[in-house]
Amino acid sequence: MENPSDQNLVDRARKGDASAFECLASRHYTTVYRAAYRWCGVREDAEDITQDVFVKVAQKLGSFAGRASFRTWLYRITVNTAMDFGRRRSTRTALSSAWKAEMEGPAENPGEEAEAVRQLYAAMDGLPPRQKAAALLVWAEGFTHKEAASVLECAEATVSAHLFQARKNLQHLLSEVS
Amino acid sequence: MDRDLQDRLNKLHIPDPQASARNEALRAALAEYQRRQQAGEFRTKGFFGRLRLMGKLFQGGFPMNRTAVVTAGLSVVLVAFVSALVIPQFTSYRARPIRTEAPEPSAPESVPVVADLNESRPAADPAMKTGAPRDAKMEMRVATGAVAPGERPVPLPPEYVGRDRFESFDPNPVRRTQEDPVSTFSVDVDTASYAFVRRALNAGHLPPKHAVRVEELINYFDYDYAIPGDRSVPFRPTVSVFPTPWNPQTRLLHIGIQGFDLVPDERPRANLVFLVDVSGSMGMPDKLPLLKNAFRMLVDRMQAEDTVALVVYAGSAGTVLEPTPVRDKGRILAALDRLEAGGSTAGGEGIRSAYALAESSFDPKGVNRVILATDGDFNVGIQDPETLQHFVEREREKGIYLSVLGFGQGNYNDALMQKLAQNGNGNAAYIDTLQEARKVLVEEAASTLFPIANDVKIQVEFNPSRVAEYRLIGYESRQLRREDFNNDRVDAGEIGAGHSVTALYEITPVGSPAQRIDDLRYGSRAEENSKAGASGEIAFLRIRYKLPEAQESRIVERPITTADVLPTVQGASEDSRFAAAVAAFGQRLRGGTYLEGFTWDDILSLAETARGKDRFGYRTEFLNLVRLAETARAMGEK
Repeated sequence: MENPSDQNLVDRARKGDASAFECLASRHYTTVYRAAYRWCGVREDAEDITQDVFVKVAQKLGSFAGRASFRTWLYRITVNTAMDFGRRRSTRTALSSAWKAEMEGPAENPGEEAEAVRQLYAAMDGLPPRQKAAALLVWAEGFTHKEAASVLECAEATVSAHLFQARKNLQHLLSEVS
Repeated sequence: MDRDLQDRLNKLHIPDPQASARNEALRAALAEYQRRQQAGEFRTKGFFGRLRLMGKLFQGGFPMNRTAVVTAGLSVVLVAFVSALVIPQFTSYRARPIRTEAPEPSAPESVPVVADLNESRPAADPAMKTGAPRDAKMEMRVATGAVAPGERPVPLPPEYVGRDRFESFDPNPVRRTQEDPVSTFSVDVDTASYAFVRRALNAGHLPPKHAVRVEELINYFDYDYAIPGDRSVPFRPTVSVFPTPWNPQTRLLHIGIQGFDLVPDERPRANLVFLVDVSGSMGMPDKLPLLKNAFRMLVDRMQAEDTVALVVYAGSAGTVLEPTPVRDKGRILAALDRLEAGGSTAGGEGIRSAYALAESSFDPKGVNRVILATDGDFNVGIQDPETLQHFVEREREKGIYLSVLGFGQGNYNDALMQKLAQNGNGNAAYIDTLQEARKVLVEEAASTLFPIANDVKIQVEFNPSRVAEYRLIGYESRQLRREDFNNDRVDAGEIGAGHSVTALYEITPVGSPAQRIDDLRYGSRAEENSKAGASGEIAFLRIRYKLPEAQESRIVERPITTADVLPTVQGASEDSRFAAAVAAFGQRLRGGTYLEGFTWDDILSLAETARGKDRFGYRTEFLNLVRLAETARAMGEK
């Protein structure tokens, strides 16, 4: 019982055990933060998204039916929150500005390779949101197509189609950059 | 290619999150969890309440006794059973792809947008939507469940999560009269800040500093200023100078301006378009239901020839009611009753249709106004806040004004509300209770709806031979440049029928030990004996305004002389003392930089003796707020 499973914590949190909820949230904070950072490329924004995600987890825990795993459910909330965030941001500024702004700023590691990685993320930022989500889940987070489909609440074939399109779009975008 | 992409994506350097952000996030999440818990969401039946104890036991290695294990098992079964009963009907649409509005060029199964709102409600936030019905059921379940008395812990007031957005600002600084003798600002008759502060305090926490706009707190109250005689000079200033309650070495200059009131017969015809946010988040009892009641009260007060139209924005933006004369009250009320929260805020052409309707029944002699009611999401069809502001500004020039009514807490976008109302020549009010709705929409309907003067600017010039320093209390967001005073193209606040506006300056007389800024070594005080110095003038007050419809401004002037000076605080009028107490309260909430240790109790005793007739009990309520502020926790404080 030293290291209770997510499911165990979820069950207890749903019964009103606040410490179980706390444990659940602090356990997954970094995971969500890293996924959010991959999405937006700015530390502060990633922190904001992560906070939103956990507030939503608290809001929705009562209706979490447990048909998906907690991890899947958490990523679903993360992706949706990040998409919302991206949409709000894109109403204010041009798309993919976050990654670009980050690139222009003082890079912590101005190596050539790091630069190429950031360019790749900037290019992903230009993809339609669901393509981007599928691409990040599978390529960066290591989800299987099936798991990603469950996060995105679509068919597995759709994920594959998203990835196919994303790859095509990226090749196009990447060749533009270089 | 996949491998290659994977490798490259994994090389991203991700900076560590800040510990403070992490703590803040976990705190906010836990606060939300506790809020839901109090709403009964995570409790199944009363006798399982003891399971809460497990929270504490858990940290210490988790020793569970047999009973706890048994009850834990039972409650799992019960949860499963109850969710089987309650949840499926709501999950049926939750399980669909949520983001039907997102562009999905390649999604083969992309769901067609279903016209029937009740069937499929695409939303940014499914929990918000499902929240209302589910909460209701859950709460009912808890209510009928046998909750043993005393077993349920006393709920703590919900922690303030603090995602409402306020423009930040610093208090006006002390100015040296010799260097900067002229103070210019625009009037502000908004009261939103007071209601927000009240709500925060009633919930047991101090409001965020930037939510406190001292001038709005002061202007929330009615003051008995002298009423101007006729509408040609629509208002009259009342002025007094008395010792500052929190600093005997300085004086308070109290300026009150009273607008004349319209007798009902003289009222211009009103052409109102309500633009109502019916997104899912509006479903809470303090939002849409409160708003309906508020509008009902307003409609009751309107005249037969006035017209009302109703436009909603949310998943489906649309006109619910064409402009309808109030004579036909039944139809208006029925349309109002039909409003229901649901759907996302992605709202088609909400604001445009509202203005189009206002234009269609435009009355050049009447008052044409769009009243926007929302909990903060201004997704009204024009996405960019600046475009929205410009749009509102252009419409204002056509003669259609905008008022903004804010509801709810948690997502409230105060900054944008203020900007919109300011650009639309309207006022922003924050409605937290039915009583506040009555105040804004019924008692002050005339002032809210019928402007008597536009672009009202106030300028005070201090006499350097008598006043060493001055400081305007509040009005930080209303500062104007000195030259803007005479520039009729610079927009400023409007005053409605019967409105009063109050401004307070803390002034330091020449020679007072309270002077905060040292004299300049090389500054000259040679002009001390200027003509004004000898005449006993302390300052000179100028008010510039435009009559409705007018493009040219007019001016009201009044010297402030030694004859306006009162020797003691007790000698000042009840209104002056009360305004001073409210000013102290607001400054204290903002940190009290200039208050010289004036305590909550001092504020209380100052206000207590200045309650006056207090016909509606607002001042008494203020006293309660001061008491609450004394014990309230700051945000994040344990």
